[in-house]
Amino acid sequence: MSETEQKLRNEAMTLLEQGRADYIIGYEAGSLKFTTTPLITRDKDDIDRLVINPFILNNLSVFLGDISGKAGIVAKGCDSRSIVSLIQDQQLAREDIVIIGVPCSGVIDLNKVEKLTGKDRDELDDIAWAGDKAVVTIEGAKKEFPAKDVLMDDCLSCDMPAPQEYDILLDEVGPLVCDKELSRSQIKELEEMSPEQRWEFWKNEFSRCIRCYACRQVCPACFCKRCFVEETEPQWISPLPKWQDNLIFQMTRMIHVAGRCTDCGECQRSCPVNIPLRSLSKKMEEIADELFQYKAGTDKDAPPLMAAYESEEAEDFIR
Amino acid sequence: MSQESEWEPKILGFLCRWCSYAGADLAGTSRKKYPANIRIIKIPCSGRIDPLLIIRALRTGFDGVLVSGCHPGDCHYQTGNYRARRRIAITKNFLEYMGMEPQRLQASWVSASEGGKFAEVVSEITRDLKEISPNRLFTDERDGTKATE
Ligand code: SF4
Ligand code: SF4
Repeated sequence: MSETEQKLRNEAMTLLEQGRADYIIGYEAGSLKFTTTPLITRDKDDIDRLVINPFILNNLSVFLGDISGKAGIVAKGCDSRSIVSLIQDQQLAREDIVIIGVPCSGVIDLNKVEKLTGKDRDELDDIAWAGDKAVVTIEGAKKEFPAKDVLMDDCLSCDMPAPQEYDILLDEVGPLVCDKELSRSQIKELEEMSPEQRWEFWKNEFSRCIRCYACRQVCPACFCKRCFVEETEPQWISPLPKWQDNLIFQMTRMIHVAGRCTDCGECQRSCPVNIPLRSLSKKMEEIADELFQYKAGTDKDAPPLMAAYESEEAEDFIR
Repeated sequence: MSQESEWEPKILGFLCRWCSYAGADLAGTSRKKYPANIRIIKIPCSGRIDPLLIIRALRTGFDGVLVSGCHPGDCHYQTGNYRARRRIAITKNFLEYMGMEPQRLQASWVSASEGGKFAEVVSEITRDLKEISPNRLFTDERDGTKATE
């Protein structure tokens, strides 16, 4: 067990014992090797199940809305920004949560490791971070890979791995590994296309969408009790998964989460048909930054992007 | 080809009731000439505009959408047009990234006394839209589904 993990368990136990938290929201080992799954508990006996490792990918802030009472939540950099964003949107009260911050070294993409090593996950003994390298142990032999090659795509673009808001910090902030160019390579490709080609691209992608709404369900920014797609008066889109309506759903969702999305990458990971949703959300992040110098979830006292305005701001598109 | 240049774009205008709608009214009562390409929906404030209204208009088959409100500082509710401005900026940039032609989403500030400006805006937008082709964003060539449901 790592030191960080031990510290987490101690802190979580103290929170429950002292009644500072009614629940702990964290990660436990998943049923498959090198995976984790969310653990939500108020039972002190469960604390020993909590883990911290390079595979804690879920953005746990999505559960905060469904829990009443005080929650102690484990948060990486991006997750902490989602929490801040929820506070900005008045979906949460800061005093109702205890944020256990994990300075994040990045989440490892198991598929990338499998590809690089040519081995199935079951044949690997261990995967761990060592500075800006990932060390993979196969049959006793250690192999090193640059972080860039094994990081989740969204971690590759992350320049805020340290929690933005926390009550407890589990560790020192590690080295920053990010490659902005690489992480936005698909966006760049799209930008170089003609508008027709771009539309054709997205049209094709969304012909596969089955409208399972997994992307919306995992999204902490999609906290509406009733989503527009389920409204019947008026019925904004047909419930049938035709590409037109699939596109309307996703385009509208992306605009709704503008200024709340922290590029945690959960939507893309949850999509059963592998639509590159991050090439939409990431672009939206860029637009918010370019036009309004707004970065989601970095200041809990700032008004949300869409609720704020300046009397002088970009309006060259207005006649 | 020639058929294409002869086409008449259909524009959906969302006009705020305090300024732009009154401006459009004035254009009419003062007999200003402007293209009959626009259909108007009165909204309580430009701040009522929702990206969904814009996207739905395009899905329904309109070639262009105009959102128009009071000049900055003149909003009946003080800040509605500032909020609209930000929302439209985001929506416009994003839809253009998706592949929508920039001409399809337009915005203007037209006050209740600017009947002439309203007529100009509609003429300009109609001209701009004629330069591009009719809206086929949501038309399915493969299964022949029309843009309108
Ligand atoms: S997760 Fe993928 S398939 Fe499901 S609704 Fe979202 S985009 Fe469509
Ligand atoms: S898509 Fe829009 S309406 Fe639906 S849950 Fe997300 S933010 Fe709410």
